[in-house]
Order: sequence, then C-alpha cells, then structure tokens
Amino acid sequence: MMATPVTTMDKTVAAKSGPASDARPPRAPRPPRPNFRQIHQFPLPVNVHHVPPVIPHNPLSLISVVLSYLTFLISPPRQEVYSAYFDKATSSIHVTDERSINALWQMGFFGKGSLSRSEPSWLAREKKRRGLHNGKTSEEITRLRRTERRELKLERARMEKLAIEERLKAEAAAREAGASESLDQAAQSTPTGDTTNVTAAATEKFSLKKAKEARALEAKQARELAAQNAALAGQNQPETSSNSKSVRFSPVVQKKEFLSTSPSSLQLPDSVISNLDADDFPNEEHLQLSNEEAFFLAYSLGALQIYDSHLKSGEIQSTSPTTTAALLQQFCHHSFQPARDASASLQPDDPFMISYTVYHHFRSLGWVIRSGVKFGTDYLLYNRGPVFSHAEFAVVIIPSYSHPYWSETEERKNYTAEKQARSWWWMHCVSRVQAQVLKSLVVCYVEVPPPAASLDDIGALFGQYKVREFLIKRWIPNRTRD
Amino acid sequence: MADADEDLIHAPANASAQPEVDLSDETQDFRFLNHLNFFADSSPGIPRRGEKDFEPNPTELQADVLSASRGAMHNALSYPRLHGAKTRVIAFYAPDGYVPPAQPGRAKPKAGGEDGKEDGKSSESTPKPARPLPNSARISPDACVYVPSPKGQFFKTMGQADSSSRVWLLPEEALYLIERGSLDIRWPSPSASAAGPGEEDLSVPMSLQAAYTCFMGRGGLTLERYSVYTGLKRLGYALFRAPGWCDDMEQQDAAVSDASELTSPELHGPGLAGMLGSLFNWIHDPRSTASTATGPIIGTGIHRHYMDVYRKLAIIPWYDPVTAPERHPSDTTPPFRVVFHIYKPSTPLKKSALPTPDFRIAVVSTRDQTTMPTMTELGALLESTPLDPPRGEKMDRMMYMRLRHGYRNVVMAVVDQGVVSYLRIADSAFGKEKLYENKGGPQGPKRNRTNQKPRKR
Repeated sequence: MMATPVTTMDKTVAAKSGPASDARPPRAPRPPRPNFRQIHQFPLPVNVHHVPPVIPHNPLSLISVVLSYLTFLISPPRQEVYSAYFDKATSSIHVTDERSINALWQMGFFGKGSLSRSEPSWLAREKKRRGLHNGKTSEEITRLRRTERRELKLERARMEKLAIEERLKAEAAAREAGASESLDQAAQSTPTGDTTNVTAAATEKFSLKKAKEARALEAKQARELAAQNAALAGQNQPETSSNSKSVRFSPVVQKKEFLSTSPSSLQLPDSVISNLDADDFPNEEHLQLSNEEAFFLAYSLGALQIYDSHLKSGEIQSTSPTTTAALLQQFCHHSFQPARDASASLQPDDPFMISYTVYHHFRSLGWVIRSGVKFGTDYLLYNRGPVFSHAEFAVVIIPSYSHPYWSETEERKNYTAEKQARSWWWMHCVSRVQAQVLKSLVVCYVEVPPPAASLDDIGALFGQYKVREFLIKRWIPNRTRD
Repeated sequence: MADADEDLIHAPANASAQPEVDLSDETQDFRFLNHLNFFADSSPGIPRRGEKDFEPNPTELQADVLSASRGAMHNALSYPRLHGAKTRVIAFYAPDGYVPPAQPGRAKPKAGGEDGKEDGKSSESTPKPARPLPNSARISPDACVYVPSPKGQFFKTMGQADSSSRVWLLPEEALYLIERGSLDIRWPSPSASAAGPGEEDLSVPMSLQAAYTCFMGRGGLTLERYSVYTGLKRLGYALFRAPGWCDDMEQQDAAVSDASELTSPELHGPGLAGMLGSLFNWIHDPRSTASTATGPIIGTGIHRHYMDVYRKLAIIPWYDPVTAPERHPSDTTPPFRVVFHIYKPSTPLKKSALPTPDFRIAVVSTRDQTTMPTMTELGALLESTPLDPPRGEKMDRMMYMRLRHGYRNVVMAVVDQGVVSYLRIADSAFGKEKLYENKGGPQGPKRNRTNQKPRKR
C-alpha cells in the first residue's frame, strides 16, 4: 500500500536532488595493461648478446655461431652509456635525456620521476589533462582507488549514523508508548514503513562490501527522510543533529570524485585546446637517481656517466665525466646532512658505504631494490620489478662493528655503541607497519671493517664489508598452537 | 573459574575440532561468560566474542550491552573459587631446596600419578647427599616445592619426580599453579619434620602474596621470565627451562669463531659446447676489461648472458648460516640466550625424554636492555640453536617461504613492563637464493592478489 506513493516521491526527489546524492555509475572496466613482460624484458641496462645454440649433429649451427662471432669481431656492438649530472642541492643524480630516462626505467627500474610517484609519467598525465591523450597513468588509477575506498568508508560511517538514529527514534517511541513490549516490536510500530530494515541492520556492523550493497537502499532512505523532514517542518531535525556524530563528504573528496568520474568536465574550453599545439610543451620532468643507484650504474655496470654540472643536449661535453673514485668520495660526503667538506677523509662507516653495500648485495642477487621510505624502511625488494608484483621484503640497515678494531679503545666503543643502538620501540614500530602492508621485515646488518689503508681499489673496499640478513616477524602464540 | 576453557586447550581431541579463534585479536565481550557452564564437562567450547563498538553512542542498546557485559563479568568474578575435595592438591614449601626423602622405606602414596610409575623401581634410595644420586639428578637445585601425592593433568608437563614419587616443582611452576588456584602450598611446619605423618592438619597455607615473595627472584626467576612462562602456559604450551637459564654460566670459549667464509659462486664444469663457447668468449671476454678497482665490474665487452653479469656483480661477502659453527649456549650474551624450550599443546611429551622443542625463546627486559641486540649478540643467539633449514615440498617450491623460514630461528620475548611482544627471528640467507636464476616469474600474478586485500606497493 505504501509502495506506490514512495516510488512516486522517489522520482520527484531524485529529480530535485543534486548529482552528489545520486548513486555513482558502476566503475568502468580498467583499460588493458601494457605488456610489461615485453617492456621490461631486460633486467639491467646492459646489452646481452646470446650465442646461437650449438647443435652437435648439425654442422650448420656451428657455422652460425662462428658467423655471429665474426660479425662481433668486425663491428663490436656498442654498449649504450647514458649520461646524467649530479645536483648538489638535492644531492641526487638527474637524468634529463628522454631516451635515457626510458631506458633506465624500463631496464631495471632505476630512479623515479621528479614529478611522479615512481615511473616518470608527468608528460602522459599532462597530455591527458589537456585532452590530448587518453589512457590512465598509474597515479590516476591509484587516486581513483583511494577515492573509492575513502568514499566507501564515509558511506559506512553514514550508514552507522543512520542506524543509530533509527535506533534512537525507536527507543524514544518505545519510551513514549510506555509499553513493556520489546524494542524491536516498537520499531515495527513506528510510522515509517522501512525502519525495520535499518534496525535489523543496526545490530551488525557494516563491512565495506555491505556499504556498497546498501548504497542504493541508503539513498532511498535518505530521500524518504528528507521528504519526511520537509513534511514534519523540521520538528525532529535539531534533536537528531545535536546528539549524533555528523558525517559528511569533505569538499576535497567531493571534488576528487568529481574529477575522477567525469574528467571531461575539467577539460579546457574547446577554443583553448585548439590553440594548443599537441606536442608543443616541454617535458618538465626528469629522472632522479639515488646516489646508490647512480653509483651502481656507473661503477658496477658502466652504463652511466655522471657530470658535475648540467649540460644542454646540444652543447659539446667540455668536461669529462667524474671518475668512479671521485664519485665515491662525493657520495660519501653527501651522505651526511649537511654535506661534508670535500677534504674530509672517508670513513668505513659513512652512510653511503653501508647503504651501497646493501644495495649492491641485493642487486647482484637479482632483486630490484628501491627506496623504502614510504614504509619507513631503507629499502624494498621487488621480484623483477614494481609493475609485476608487490614488494615482498622491506629492508632496514643496521651497522655492526664486530671487528676487534672497533673495541680497541674506550672512545671507539662508545662511538660504535651509539651507532648501532636501535630502541625496541623503533623495532616494534617498523615491524608493525610492515605487517600492516603485508611485507616481511628484513633486518640487514652490515659488518663494518676497520679503516682501509688505501681507497684505490673500490672492489676490495666493498669486499671487506659483510652482509647478514635476519628476518624478524611478530610471533603470535595463538596462531602457532595448531 | 577459568578452568573450563583451559581444560579444553589441554584436551587435543576437543581443541582440534574448534575453529581457530585468536582471542587476543578480538574485542572483549564478557557476556559470553554467562553462557559458560563451569560445572558441566560437556561445555560447547570456547565461545566467540562479540562485535566491536568504536565509540559511545547515546542508544539504550549500547548501554544495555555494556551493563550486561559488566554484569556478566561481575557474575563470573563473584563465583566462589574453592579447592574441590577431589581435585585438591597439597604441596609443601622447601626453603632449602631439594631434600632427599627422609625414610628410605617410607610408604608411597597409593594415588601416585604417572610420574610415580616412572620412578617405581628406584624406591630403595638411601639418605645420602642429594645431588650425586642418579635418580635425583633430574631434580633441579632450584626446585623448592614438593607435592607428596601429585594428581591431575598439570604434572604431565611440570615438575620432576624424585625417588619417593614426590614431585618437585620449580618456582615458576609452583607460582603458576598457585596463581590459577590449582595448588595449595603449605609452609613448612616449624616443629615436626616435613615428612611427618600428620602434617596436613598442622601446616599453614601459603598466600599468593607470600608465594610471589618466596619464588620471585629464586633461582634466576625474574618477573619477565615468569610473565612469558605464565602467558604461554595459559595458552596451552608446555615450557621447560633451557640450558641457558642461568645467567652466570661460565664462558667456555669467548673467542668468536669467524670460520664462516663467503661461498664463492660455483661455476659448473663446462661440457664440449661450453668449452667451445669459452673459446669464443675469450675473443670478446668482458673480463679483460673488467675492473673491480675502478669499475665497471662487469667489463665493457660483449655479455653473453645476464647470469654471467650477475655472477660478476657478486663482490659483497655475505654470511652463510649453513657453514657457521654451532655455539654452546654459554657462548652468548646473557639477555640474548635461550631460556625456555616450548612445545605446542599437540606435541606428544614425555618428561623424562623431551623431544626437540617446537620453539626456543629468549626473554629480554626492555628496561635492562634498552637497545636491540647487535649483530654479534643476535648471531650468537641464533648460532646456539640447531640448524633448521627450510625443507619440504612446499619450501622447495616457494622461494619467499624459504627466505621467511630461514636456516635457524628463535623467538625473542621482549617484555616491556609486563607487556610481552614476541618476535620470531630467522637467519635467512638471501645470498643462497639467486633470484636471477629463477626462470619462472614472480610468485603469482599481481591481479590475483588485489582481490585478497588492498596492499600497498
């Protein structure tokens, strides 16, 4: 009997209400992912030339092998060397050449875009913003997901608030009636037809999924309520709002949602677009390499040349690239804040020496190692790369001074004790955060050697360090009981 | 009493039927106590807890739930806790530690439990000094409470029986039992000898406060160790003191053995094709231009395979837990030392011949040891445990599991003023898992994971 008037009211209210109260259209399917396997097929920016297979019973295969070698003899393939420059202000390495940026990102996931989350995607985003390009960058996908999740949480809070209000109403009605009947019965006797649904829902909690499902229902209820409130001339309004938590969309969320659902509305007017030339704006973004990454590329792979100052692409390289020995000095000095004086001598426990040891160790085992600053750790370890899988391990580095040299004098003992001290609270913080983001915590101790006599042989220098990994995880006795 | 759910834990047949409930992770809804029947043996098991309200709201429903919970808690607490005549176990405090039985031919109690049977044949012991006796060798000098007629399930995993089938309890065992109301400890009677016939009537019961005073600090028992002991015990684990219990163990050899060396990556012997290949490699050997002194390490020539590149990159030595020598427990720094061996409730136990423990635990007080262990301390702790490499079909398949399991492991209980946090520490050797040799891609496609739980990159 109630059904027909409600639906008609629905329509009128829906027509009047703004777009915010409308249920959002279902999410469009994600565009197909690019073929990451193809894009990131090389794990390091090093050219590898496979030998053609030798098949013993097929002499022709031998010829092909010989041929391949002969071609290499006559015209040896050149190993690509990229160039970058050291920026003292940020104490990091900048790569500005477009081709180098792509190569370093695609082969081994080195660096991060200065205007992006990780992959340099500013240009794509900018093009999209100007309506020149469609397809989603990873930043946008993440933002969309976050907006969605936040909205669902707000939705859940709103549902809970609504349930509490209904409950309060039902209780008030029961009190007025003064009857001994139970609250549920009282709820059924209230004038609004649909409240039983809500009170029943009030006893259980709302999961995000439930909030999603209940969205349509909730919208209907809200409209009903609005209609009722209008009819009752705001009689209940002040009461309910005064004694309950107010939940509303923050303007930021609304704006973001707006942006993500209807990007076309933010486009510039057509006249402006027509004035813009499609590829006429420069790429403002550069690739930023951490000092460890840069040193690995330069010293270990020989795939990077680092200059002291930024040169325009057309300019002739007047200065020669920094030698690896000088580079090591520079990075060590810049591993302090503020950077040490160039004349300061290298110490075996300079932060750069220790962090590079760990970086090189995991790189040499095949991990893609990237900064873990987002999770409060030193490094994250990816299998193959961030586009393929989540990082499974998060690494924190602790220096260790177990060599007898470090306990020879009292002064050194105090110094090293201070250097290796980590509080339990710190440990618990780190391990709980890693559990929350489903990563395993690796505590990586680096054994620091005594100061070396000569710094000429960098390989020998790093060969004196030693790495030991411990995996630390919360142990929950309730879960291991069987 | 809380015995009902604890008994369930101890009964493995019953416990296995229960779905796994992590009580500590759920909210406390004490209304469940009303549904517990403390008398009936056929209790339905550990009840599920209720749902969580995050903030107060003005509804009467919430107020009702709150008051009902409070009422249930009061009800449970106000239940009179008594020593039942059938289950009552009386013990005697022996302030001087273990004393051998006074009369060799003393009548044994008829109701001697399982432990009585173990020592049944060794009843002809003579009153010689206690320590050298072979049958009393198992009794710790720290034991200070004895139970003349042990009965009940607790003595399956606690206490040590002597030649006259008295069970001797360590301070933590006695304290745990008296605290949970399962033991009635009596002061030694001043006049008569402890073994007098009419002792039960004359002796004075020991209060809980007195028990804490007497047992805490005795024989190396600290409040931190007791917190760990009692916490795990209540969860159903069986705990036994490890050889590293005493802090003042003499250091046998303080010299840190640094025998562990870097295992250089092995190169497999070349076949005919390989030899041919190496001949050709020689023409353009990148190694000729490789230099670890100034780089590039991998050289500037032609690289044949990424594996070779990675092999050349391996210049950083790493610790190999397999080749490391095992240490004696005394060769560790005191707080970082295994003090308890832990057995799961499901592990079949025989007190006389304990199996390999399921877990080894070290107890650290954050107030005495304010910093995390250094690598030397942590390494020594792990090296004092036996090698436990990842084995099994599943481990062989899954590299992440192997790394997480590690080659040795130990549990560290970090006690911060009564709050215990357990950390499992494993010695995982990343250097033993050459990721670049993995032909298969990552462990699973990323898409499958996204629908499990939102996870951040």
